[in-house]
Amino acid sequence: MAEQAHWFGSFLADLSPRAQEKLLALGENFQYPEGETIFHEGDPSLHLYVVKTGQVAIEVHIPSKGRRTIMTAGPGDLFSWSALVEPRIETASARATQATEAFGVKGGLLMDLCREDPEFGFELYRALAEVISSRLIATRLQLIDVFA
Amino acid sequence: MTTASPTLEVPYPADPMLPRLATIRGIKPEAYGISTFSMAFVDPDERARYRFQPGQFNMLYLPGVGEVAISVSSDPGEPETLGHTVRYAGNVTRAIGRLKPGDVLGVRGPYGSHWPAISRPGTNVVIVAGGIGLAPLRPVILSVLRHRDDYGRVLLLYGARTPADLLYTGEFDKWREGNIDLHVTVDLADENWRGQVGVVPQLFYRVRMDHKNTIVMTCGPEIMMRFVIYEALARRIPKDRIYISMERNMKCAVGFCGHCQFGPTFICKQGPVLNFAAIEPFFGREDF
Amino acid sequence: MTPSLPRIAASVAVPKAALQQVFENLRGEGFSLIGPTVRDGAVVLEEIDGMDDLPQGWVDEQNPGQYRLKKTRESQYFGCSVGPQSWKRYLHPPRLGLFSVEKSNGGWVFHTPKGPPPHYAFIGVHACDLAAIAVQDRVLIGSEFRDPQYAARREHVFILAANCGHATSSCFCTSMKTGPKVTGGFDLALTELPDIFLVEIGSEAGSEMMRGIQWEAATAFDLSRAGRVTQRAEKLISRQLQTDDLPELLYENLEHAHWDEVASRCLSCANCTMVCPTCFCTTVEDSTNLQGTASDRISVADSCFNRDFSHVHGGNIRPSIKSRYRQWLTHKLASWHDQFGSSGCVGCGRCITWCPVGIEITEEVNSIRAKAVR
Repeated sequence: MAEQAHWFGSFLADLSPRAQEKLLALGENFQYPEGETIFHEGDPSLHLYVVKTGQVAIEVHIPSKGRRTIMTAGPGDLFSWSALVEPRIETASARATQATEAFGVKGGLLMDLCREDPEFGFELYRALAEVISSRLIATRLQLIDVFA
Repeated sequence: MTTASPTLEVPYPADPMLPRLATIRGIKPEAYGISTFSMAFVDPDERARYRFQPGQFNMLYLPGVGEVAISVSSDPGEPETLGHTVRYAGNVTRAIGRLKPGDVLGVRGPYGSHWPAISRPGTNVVIVAGGIGLAPLRPVILSVLRHRDDYGRVLLLYGARTPADLLYTGEFDKWREGNIDLHVTVDLADENWRGQVGVVPQLFYRVRMDHKNTIVMTCGPEIMMRFVIYEALARRIPKDRIYISMERNMKCAVGFCGHCQFGPTFICKQGPVLNFAAIEPFFGREDF
Repeated sequence: MTPSLPRIAASVAVPKAALQQVFENLRGEGFSLIGPTVRDGAVVLEEIDGMDDLPQGWVDEQNPGQYRLKKTRESQYFGCSVGPQSWKRYLHPPRLGLFSVEKSNGGWVFHTPKGPPPHYAFIGVHACDLAAIAVQDRVLIGSEFRDPQYAARREHVFILAANCGHATSSCFCTSMKTGPKVTGGFDLALTELPDIFLVEIGSEAGSEMMRGIQWEAATAFDLSRAGRVTQRAEKLISRQLQTDDLPELLYENLEHAHWDEVASRCLSCANCTMVCPTCFCTTVEDSTNLQGTASDRISVADSCFNRDFSHVHGGNIRPSIKSRYRQWLTHKLASWHDQFGSSGCVGCGRCITWCPVGIEITEEVNSIRAKAVR
C-alpha cells in the first residue's frame, strides 16, 4: 500500500482500507502518451479516473476560440466522476498534457458494487462529495478573479 | 493582541517623514504592467548603512505626486542596490513607471515587520505566493538559496492570473537548481500554456508536507491567503507557524496617520508580516 | 516689598484681576495666549489678549446633537465646559507643512520647516482635555516613532488648567477617570471661586508666571471651598460609561446586530472625529508649482469616517457606514488599549454634543452590552 500511497491524494485516502481494496480490485491502469485525448465532452461517461502520474488538462471547447483548459489534474486528483452521476455524460474533455498513467474504474461495475454493498456505496459517495465540494470552492476562486 | 516579529531600529528618528534621495540604476519589466526598479541611495554613507530584512518595505516618493509603500524585493545580502517590484495601479506607481535610469526619487525606510528568521536548523519552509505577492517573498527565497543547508524541504507554490502575469520566470530554473521544489499554476490559461491550471491553494494537492517543523509564509490577495490558510490548517500546520503579509492604505509608515490599522495592529509597525495565530480573530472578517 | 514666588505644589489665593498679570508675564516671555472666547454662538479656542476676551458670565448647555450658550448674571470666567475645539488644533494642527522640495542643478533639495516652534500658553485647560493631551503624547511622541513638530510645540507649551465647577449632560469624565479635578501635567491650575482664584503651582515655569502678583497661601477654608467646586461638577455629571469590561466587550461583539442599528443613523459626517481631542489621524497632500520645480508636502487632518480612508487598489476596505462606525468606536474604546496602553476616550462628551443625529457613545456601548455575546 505504501507503493500506491503517493497517488492516492485525498480521494482514495479518505476511504477505509476495505473500501480501497474493493475499488482497486475493480479497476485497471491506463497509459496515455503526451497529447492524447482521454475522452471528449459529450462522450458517454464510462469510467471514474484518478491520475497516478503525469498531468491531465480538463478542457472546454468554445466555438471560434478552440479548446480552453479550465483546470489541470495531477497525481492523486479525481478527474471524472460523471460515470456516477446521471445522465452519465462527460461534461468536459480530458487530455494528457504529459505522459500520464491513470487508474480507471468502470462506472457500471462501481454502481453494481454500491448496490450490493451499501456500506461501500456510502463511503464512496461521501469521498466523492468531498472532492466535488473542494473542486467547487476552487472553481469559485477562479470565478471571483482574485487578481483582478 | 499584538503580533509577529519585532520591528528593527527606527530609521531616521530625527524626521521620520523626510525622504532620502536615491537614483534609479535599472528597470526590468517583469510582467504585464509590472517592473522591478533597482535603485541606490545618492549619499554613499546611506548606501553603505542601509539594511533590510525580508518582508520589509520602503516608502517611495515623487515630489508633487505622492508616496507609495513598496516591499523590497531584492537580495538582503546585497543592500547597496535595492529592488522594488512595482505594479502600475495608481497615480504614484504610474509616475514611477515613467522614470528612467539616472532619475532621482525619494526613498525612506525600511519599515515594518519581517518574515520570521528560521532559528531551528532543518526547518521545512513552505512559501505560497499569488501574483505580485511573490515580490516580498523573493528576499526570503534568495536568503534560503544562500544558506540552503540550514533548511529542510523548501517548497514554493506560486500562481498568477495568467501566464503573462507570472513574475521572475527567468529565475525559476536557478531556484529549482538551488533545491527549491517549485510548483507554478495560473487561474486562466492561454493557448500556449502547458503547465498547471487552477488556483494557488490547489497546489497544496500536488505536494505532501510534514506538519511538524514546518513554517508557512504566504502573500497574495487576501482571499487567496484565506484559502491557503485553510489548506495549511487542514494539513495540521500549527496556527502560530503560519505567517501572512497584509496590505492596507498607508500615508506615513510610522504609526501617525492611522490609515493602516487592522484592529489593534498597525500594518506599518506590527505588520506587514503577521503571525496568523495573533490576528486570527480579525482576519477574514468582513469590512474590518 | 516684592512678593517672592510661590513654590511648586503650593496652593495660593489671588484676586481675580491678578490673572491679567499672569497673562502679561506669559506674553513677556514670548507666549501666545490661546484661550476660550465666545464666537459664533460657541466657546472656541483662539488667541486672546486678556481677561476681557474670556467667556465671563457664559454657561453652556450640551445635549446629544445640541449646544447652547447662555449669558448669566454670574461673573465666572471659566463657567463653560468644553467647546467644539480642543487643544489638538494647536499641538497637532489640521494643516501642517512637512517639507518642501526644490529641484536644482539636476538634483533635489529638501527644506524642512525653519524657525522656532510657536510658544503657546493654553489658558483654561479642563481636566478631560489635559488627559487628552497626554493621550496624544503617547501616540505622537511616546511610541516607536516621534513626530518632531508635535514634540517641539509640546515642549514649549505652558498649561494653565482650570478645574470644572460645571458639567453638562454630555460629560462623563468621571467614568473615564480623567476628571473633573485636574491632578497633574499642568504649570498652573486654578479653581474659580466667587472672589478669588485658587492657584495650584505645578512647575517652576508656573511659579515664574506668578511674578509681580500679590498672592497668599491658601487657607483651609479656601481649600475646602475649592473642593466643593469640583464636587459640584461631579454631582452634575449624570452620564456613565462602564469601562471594566472594555476592551473585551467590543472585541467579542464585532458582529453584534447593534452596529447595523447605529449605522442606520450615522451620517458618516466625521464631526465626532473632528471634535474629539484624541483623534489623531492625518493624510498627506502633495502639490507642485506649474513648472514642476518646487513642491510641498503637507499633513492634513483626516477621519476614519471618510470613505477613502481605507482605500487600497481595487476599492475601500470599509465601504459601509457600519464598518466605519465600528472602526471608530472599537479603536477609541478597545484597540487603543492594545496600541497605547490606555483608553482613547477621555469622557469630554464632544462627540455626543456635536453629532448631528445625537449618537451617544455611552448608549451605543450599553446597547451592545445589553445583548452581548459572551
